[in-house]
Amino acid sequence: MAEPIQAPPAQHAGREDEPVVQMRGVTKRIGKRKLIDNLTLDVPAGEVFGFLGPNGAGKTTTIRMMVGLMRLSEGEIIIRGQSISTAYEQAIRHVGAIVENPEMYKYLTGYQNLLHFARMIPGISRQRIEEVVELVGLKARIHDKVKTYSLGMRQRLGVAQAIMHKPSLLILDEPTNGLDPAGIRELRDYLRLLARNEGITVFVSSHLLSEMELMCDRVAIIQNGRLVDVRPIARGTDAHAAAVTVLLDVDRADEARQLLAEAGAIIEGGLLRLEADRETVANINARLVGAGFKVYGIRTQAKSLEDQFLEMTGGERIV
Amino acid sequence: MSDFWQLVTNENMKIYRRPRTWIMLGVLLAITAAVPISIFAFEEGGLSMWMPFQVNTSMSVVLVTVFAVVLSAESVAGEFSSGTIKLLLIRPWSRSKLLLSKYIALLLFALLFMVGMLAWNLGLNALLFGYDGSNEMGSLSALNYFLQTYLFEFITLVVIVTISFLISTVFRSGGLAIGLSIFLLLIGSAISGMLSLLDYAWVKYLLFVNLDLTTYIGGGSSMIEGTSLGFSLAVLAAYYVVFVVITWIVFSKRDVAA
Ligand SMILES: Nc1ncnc2c1ncn2[C@@H]1O[C@H](COP(=O)(O)OP(=O)(O)O)[C@@H](O)[C@H]1O
Ligand SMILES: [Mg+2]
Repeated sequence: MAEPIQAPPAQHAGREDEPVVQMRGVTKRIGKRKLIDNLTLDVPAGEVFGFLGPNGAGKTTTIRMMVGLMRLSEGEIIIRGQSISTAYEQAIRHVGAIVENPEMYKYLTGYQNLLHFARMIPGISRQRIEEVVELVGLKARIHDKVKTYSLGMRQRLGVAQAIMHKPSLLILDEPTNGLDPAGIRELRDYLRLLARNEGITVFVSSHLLSEMELMCDRVAIIQNGRLVDVRPIARGTDAHAAAVTVLLDVDRADEARQLLAEAGAIIEGGLLRLEADRETVANINARLVGAGFKVYGIRTQAKSLEDQFLEMTGGERIV
Repeated sequence: MSDFWQLVTNENMKIYRRPRTWIMLGVLLAITAAVPISIFAFEEGGLSMWMPFQVNTSMSVVLVTVFAVVLSAESVAGEFSSGTIKLLLIRPWSRSKLLLSKYIALLLFALLFMVGMLAWNLGLNALLFGYDGSNEMGSLSALNYFLQTYLFEFITLVVIVTISFLISTVFRSGGLAIGLSIFLLLIGSAISGMLSLLDYAWVKYLLFVNLDLTTYIGGGSSMIEGTSLGFSLAVLAAYYVVFVVITWIVFSKRDVAA
């Protein structure tokens, strides 16, 4: 059941703290099959948001509904405060997207393709087109026909058309498919740059865990059309890092365990083991030292997304 | 509203930036030049320009209709088969306006080519054989007769192109759209000849017995009893509205899973 959602007043549209995308009870039925089942999800502004799931999980179907290519059977998708079903033109204005492959008009040049899509949205100057061409590094080949482009170049042209109108939400469906490792790395750095410097929220789907871990701030996991979980990705440099497993090498481990009982410490292989976030690790260390324990070593074990995923789905492999 | 013409500009770009459009034009000009030039080379003199002009007109009409049908068939189906439909649709435009821009670009192409061929055929034949202002076709002057021919053929073309557009949109198959509409164009008149022998009242409401409007020029009548120019135009208009409504509804409502 979809919760009744009131359309937010116009002045709320695009508020900074409001999620860029709000999905409420999104369901897609084709025939008797439920391709997407009651998906409820918020995509916070300014993040690179991963949408992870095995092939056939329903990633592309969800993205098609987000950009209005498919109708929702039930529920609602709100982008920057506007419903994709009832205010399509206002909602889609904030979106740039590549759905599956970056298919362009092959008989036109890269530049003519950009011109084509620029004409469809008011306010894109020729100068802006030149700017994005430069940004995606296609300057030398932009006046060649798209049929002469490599896949990587098409991908970059796809990104160019998607960011040309300065969207607040960039949606990419498995953008690394078919790219070589260098291309993947380049795209990954580029997406993080867009999120950080231009404040663009990026919604990116993939069936590869390792990729999502490197690219995203947060990952939603979808399986058989259902949302399994949404998790922030722990990052070494991130002050709000999620809980990690901490192993402490101390003298008098047993006494130390009693001291840290409320933190859930256990002893494992002679080491003190507990779950804690970054700040807590520092506090625990101070407490131990303060209580006269000798701390010989602290080791953190970030749980990989794969571990998390396996834990959640009871061992079912994702790839 | 000026923004809407940007969409039409896009569709024009997709028509005229493709070599095939210019090949079509080349074929048209070559064939319509070959006829009067070869007649001119062999004739004894004293031939009215309207004879080769008439030959040129029938060829031009068929070719322009076929070319317009080909572009129409590809217009929507081509976006699906290339996958570009996805990037086309995810813009701040309603699907019905996007479809309208495609349709307008097609009609502009047909109009341009039809008027262009009229001017080219007139100019070429007048140049070769001398302008003949005396010739009469029945009760009409030759010029008047042929202007009406081009007008009526254009109306027929619009109906055929709209059928092609419908099939292209509903079945997303350019080949099927071309096949069916050309079949209707070429076979329609033969079938209507056969049907005219039948004495059923409903025959006159069929689409293809009303497609050839040129039989009414200068007060002529068609083979089917109970028809007139006004009647045929009304029947075509009714079919046209149905085709357009189906096309727009299907395109606006259907999920895009290309
Ligand atoms: N148009 C469609 N009709 C019926 N089933 C479909 C259609 N499109 C996709 N599916 C099915 O829906 C499921 C989800 O597909 P998809 O969204 O493409 O998955 P993903 O992108 O995660 O690999 C798959 O099982 C697929 O077979
Ligand atoms: Mg997919």
